[in-house]
Amino acid sequence: MMRRAAAAVLLLALGAIFATVALDFRERTALPPLAEAYVEMVPRELGAPNVITGILLSYRAFDTIGEVAVLFMVAAGIGLLLGPGRKPEDPALDESEPEPSTEIVRNGADIMVPLIALFAVYIVLHGHLGPGGGFQGGAVVASCVLLMLLARPDYRVRLAQLSVAESLAGVFIVLAGMAGLVFAGGFLDSRVLPLGEFGTLFSAGAIPVLSVLLGTKVGCELSVIIERFRA
Amino acid sequence: MTDLIGSITVLIGAVFLFSAGLGMFRMPDAMSRIHAGTKATTLGNTLVLVGIAIYQPTWSLKLLVIIYFVLMTNPISSHALAHAAYTLRGRLVPSRAFGEDDARDQNDSQ
Amino acid sequence: MTISHAVLTTGLLLMLIGIWGILTQRNILRIIIGFALMGTGSHIVIVAVGYVANGTAPIIDDALPLSEAAARAVDPVPSALAVTAIVIGLAVTAVMLAFAIRLYGAKKTLSIDAFADSKW
Repeated sequence: MMRRAAAAVLLLALGAIFATVALDFRERTALPPLAEAYVEMVPRELGAPNVITGILLSYRAFDTIGEVAVLFMVAAGIGLLLGPGRKPEDPALDESEPEPSTEIVRNGADIMVPLIALFAVYIVLHGHLGPGGGFQGGAVVASCVLLMLLARPDYRVRLAQLSVAESLAGVFIVLAGMAGLVFAGGFLDSRVLPLGEFGTLFSAGAIPVLSVLLGTKVGCELSVIIERFRA
Repeated sequence: MTDLIGSITVLIGAVFLFSAGLGMFRMPDAMSRIHAGTKATTLGNTLVLVGIAIYQPTWSLKLLVIIYFVLMTNPISSHALAHAAYTLRGRLVPSRAFGEDDARDQNDSQ
Repeated sequence: MTISHAVLTTGLLLMLIGIWGILTQRNILRIIIGFALMGTGSHIVIVAVGYVANGTAPIIDDALPLSEAAARAVDPVPSALAVTAIVIGLAVTAVMLAFAIRLYGAKKTLSIDAFADSKW
């Protein structure tokens, strides 16, 4: 009873604060100075049409490395919580032989898995031309792996090779950053590779390379997390 | 004029999506909830996309591809969920959706 | 009552619903869904704050040529922050679900009232 009363009081107070925020809100009519500088600098200096990916992978690339570190820690933590050496809790759910999947799911997955994989590669590679990039493409790669796990119960994700691939991708991201330090303006500057023609696939310096490495790393990590949840 | 028709179609699609949420909330059993969740959301998604296609006719090919993907994947995923629900309930917990009511009625009448 | 008003109100409402779910529900999975709802609401609020009147997405292509980009584009910085926030929210939800699996294995029930004695 006291708990419900306290929860109601807290929700009413939060609702009042949110209401004042919503009522006093006025739309902007012009961009703030920092955003205007970014919108104008990214196509000119980096050659990337997508301003958001240009910000995430060159001007604020250090935050992106921090986020990659957070994902790595989460994958390690889930490996600790759900890893090998855990006894199966419920004897009725003992998965000594996995449950076979139905024909509908198998046939549907046969059609959808190549399409999803193609779509993931497209999102990762065109990150600098339209909406997309490393994180979004990595999530689609993980959904492809999830579909394979659902459709074929004896499909085993190779954890050792995925861990090696993920670590190598992380190392290459830092190496690309150091190449930016040596050959161009600073750490993770994307102008080590030539800028190319505006709007084509092989343009915007090292941003597509960073997108591919980021997509590989995120996809491997999410696949490892999904495989741990399975067993 | 096409703006009005497109907006009304999007609104009808949103009503279907809302009814899907309401159905998932009020239905008593897992099977009924899966039923409400998949049929209404597929139709709601399709109507919203058709409404956008009426509003902007130049995008209609891309929206048709998206509708195709939604129609391919939504029923397959609900089938996988229903198969899992049936298998788990068959192994662990007797539920009233699978004939247990008949056994209970027989015991009551004796 | 413009577009960004409606989007901002929706985001704040979703955050309130998520916080209500965390405070009142007893099932562990429903509490996790409440956290996910609160996170989604906050992402919507972040993106809605960066809207510029009659603006469009900050991507330079046929719809937004380079010359009028600075006049009509939406603020790109909150969108970049939202990408980061979504990934972190996913990671936190994964860890919470792993905890839920281990808690179920320990006490064979999904209600958090079973763990009331381990608060102290």
